[in-house]
Formats: sequence, C-alpha cells, structure tokens
Amino acid sequence: MGSKPKKSEYKPSAAEKASASVAKAENDYFKRTYDPLLQKMRDESLDDRVDETLRGRANADTLQGLAGKASYDRASSGAGGGDLAQAYQAQLAQADEAASDIRNKKQLNVLGIARDQAADSQSGMAAAANMGASEVLTKAAAKQKVREAKTGALGQMSTALIMQGAKNMKSKGNKDKLDSKGNTYIDKATNENATEEVSGGFFSPVDKSGNSITGFKDRLRSTNSFGYDNNPFGN
Amino acid sequence: MSLYGGVYGGVYGGRAMTGAGQGGDYVSTLPTVTDPDKTYAKMTRDDYNDYIKNYRGFEEDLIERAQNDTSLIDQARTNTTDAQGLMSGVAQRNSERYGVELTPAQRQEQARSLTRANTLGGAQSVNDARVAQAEQNQGVIADLVNIGQGVNRSSLSQMQGAAQSATQRNNAYKSAKAASKAQTYSTLGSLGSAAIFAFAL
Repeated sequence: MGSKPKKSEYKPSAAEKASASVAKAENDYFKRTYDPLLQKMRDESLDDRVDETLRGRANADTLQGLAGKASYDRASSGAGGGDLAQAYQAQLAQADEAASDIRNKKQLNVLGIARDQAADSQSGMAAAANMGASEVLTKAAAKQKVREAKTGALGQMSTALIMQGAKNMKSKGNKDKLDSKGNTYIDKATNENATEEVSGGFFSPVDKSGNSITGFKDRLRSTNSFGYDNNPFGN
Repeated sequence: MSLYGGVYGGVYGGRAMTGAGQGGDYVSTLPTVTDPDKTYAKMTRDDYNDYIKNYRGFEEDLIERAQNDTSLIDQARTNTTDAQGLMSGVAQRNSERYGVELTPAQRQEQARSLTRANTLGGAQSVNDARVAQAEQNQGVIADLVNIGQGVNRSSLSQMQGAAQSATQRNNAYKSAKAASKAQTYSTLGSLGSAAIFAFAL
C-alpha cells in the first residue's frame, strides 16, 4: 500500500515561484510608476493649454502677415480691414479645430490605454476564475474519492461482519447438559454425562466443546490466524 | 554576459540598480508569492477598481461630448464678434499712426465694409466649423466604438471562460453524484449478496 501523498511534494517549482514573484513586482511597479503617469495624461488632456497656444499662434501669424503691411494708402482708404477680419477668423477656426483634434486624440489615447488595461484585467479575471474553477473541481473530486473510499470500506467491513457473524452462528459444539441447579445431568440409560448441541451467537462462535469463544486470545487461537505458537496474546 | 550587462556594463546611464542580492540577483530579493491564485485575483480586481475610480467618469464624459459637442461652432461665433472689435481697433490705430483724417462718410463706409467682410467671414467660419465639428465628433465616436468593441470582445471571452467553468463544474458534480450513487448501490448489493450467502437464503 502506498504512503499518503505529502503536500510538500506538490510545491511549486523554482521557475513558478520566480515567475510569480517577478510578475507581482512588475505589477506593483506598473501601478506605482505608470498609473500616475496615465492619470497625469488624463488631466492634461482636459486642460485648455493647447487651445490657448494654437489660438495665440494663429492670432500672431495673422496680424504679422496682414496687419504688418499697414500703409498710409491702406489706412486712408480703409481697405484691407475686411480681408484681415476674414483671415483672422479663418486662422482662429483652424487653430480651434487643430486644438480640438489634439485634445480628442489625447483623450482617446488615455482611454485606449486605460481600457486596454481593463481588458487585460478582465482576461486576467477570467483566467483567475478558470484557475479557481479547476481548484474547486480538484477539491470536489478529491472529496468524492475519499467519500467513495469510506463507503467502500464500510461496505467491505459490513460484508465481512455479516459473513463472520453467520459463520459464528453456524458454529456448533457439544457441551455437558446442566440441570436447573447447574449440576451435570446424568443420562440414566448410559449412566454418562448427558450432552447437548449448542450453536454460536452472531458475535461469539462456539468451539467443539460448546464453549463460547470470546476475547482476543481465544478468538485468534480459534481462527489460528497467526499459527498456534505465534498468538500474540499467548495460548 | 547578458545583452544589457554587455551593453551597459550592468548599469544604465551610470546608475546602478539597488536591491540586488548576491551576484546581481534581483529576483531572489523579491517577496515570495504564497498564493498566486489569490494574488492574481486581487491584481485583476484592483485593476478594474482603478479603471472605475480613475477613468469611468472620463470615458462617460468623452462619449457624451462626442455626441453633443458644439465647441468649434460656438468658438467660431465668438471669433466673429471678437474679430469685429479687433479689426475696428486695428483700423483706428492705423489711421492715427499715419495721421489720416477720414470724413464721416469714409468712416461710415469703412465700418460698413468691415462689418460686411466680418459677417461674411463669420458665416463662412461657422459653416466650416459645423463641418469640422461633425467630422471630429464622428471620428471620436468611431474611435470610441473601436475601444468599446475591444472591451466587448474581452468581456465575451471572459464570459465564455466563466460559462465553460460553470459547465465543467456542473458536469463534474453530476458525474460525482452518479459515481456516488453507483458506489452506494454496489455496497448495498455486496451486503445483500453476503447476507444471502451467509444465511443460505
């Protein structure tokens, strides 16, 4: 019969332990280092600094390009003001569009990264759930095996008990017949001790002399399981 | 010698990493993970909680804005008003710089011309802004849907895993129940047989 399985024999390998330690350390490092960076990116994607910068540049470009060409002629005729106004609006509109585009891309980028992480964590959760499930299954299977073994053992013991009980009950012996006072009964015809046949009980068989066999010593002597000379309880 | 050891000589940018064990073994200094299953579950829970805490509101705002954002159009209208005042000022300063004295009729005409050009420019600008706004909003929605699809794919895969595990568990339970029943019947049968033989029924 094999020995019981030892938990120590199911220890993780050195590679598994190293892998788990490194994975945990990397995750901690990521949380400590990159998560704050992503949150900073998120906050920066919400501010208006890009708008201000681009609008400021558009404003400067327009005024430098068009208002810088001021002349007496233009000032006296009033010409060019409308063109300047239109150019100014077009430039600002372009700046607003570019700024909005940059802001959108920044925000989508942040969300994409955050969601990829969430997606990773979801697949991680699924993997963890699978690991949990297989552990539950293993435990359940192990419990079931133990339960079956117990039932099997109970069945075997009960069968043996019934068989042995029946065998005990079938055992017969002849013993002296006693009268009501406990004295040996004499057969008047033969003038010898009268005998009677007795049967064993379920738990106690009887020997040929009709004596009930009880106790470990007598039982082992009766079954001769260890041999006459080897009875651990003596003879 | 490892690649990094060869290239950087064991340090990066002259900075030696701290916390190494014997012979530069950093891994041996890391804490041992006693229950990887639980640790993994905690890590994934923390990741999701972090997303809810730090990015869920941000995401919802972005989705809302992608559908209703009119900031480009609003800004184009504001630009028109600003341009009118700004260009009047420019014309005024230029007149002063060159010492030009405009007649009231000329001044009126200059103002009318500026207003006309500014209004036309404003209309053009607002119309362009409408197109740009629609394109941008559509682009953001498309990108959001792409992100959402990725998340949805992961969710489906996760649910598939959970469903498979549940089915496996259920099947294992049914099979264990059947095995147990079979074992019980077998035991009863064995007992009955023993009784029959023993008592010679």
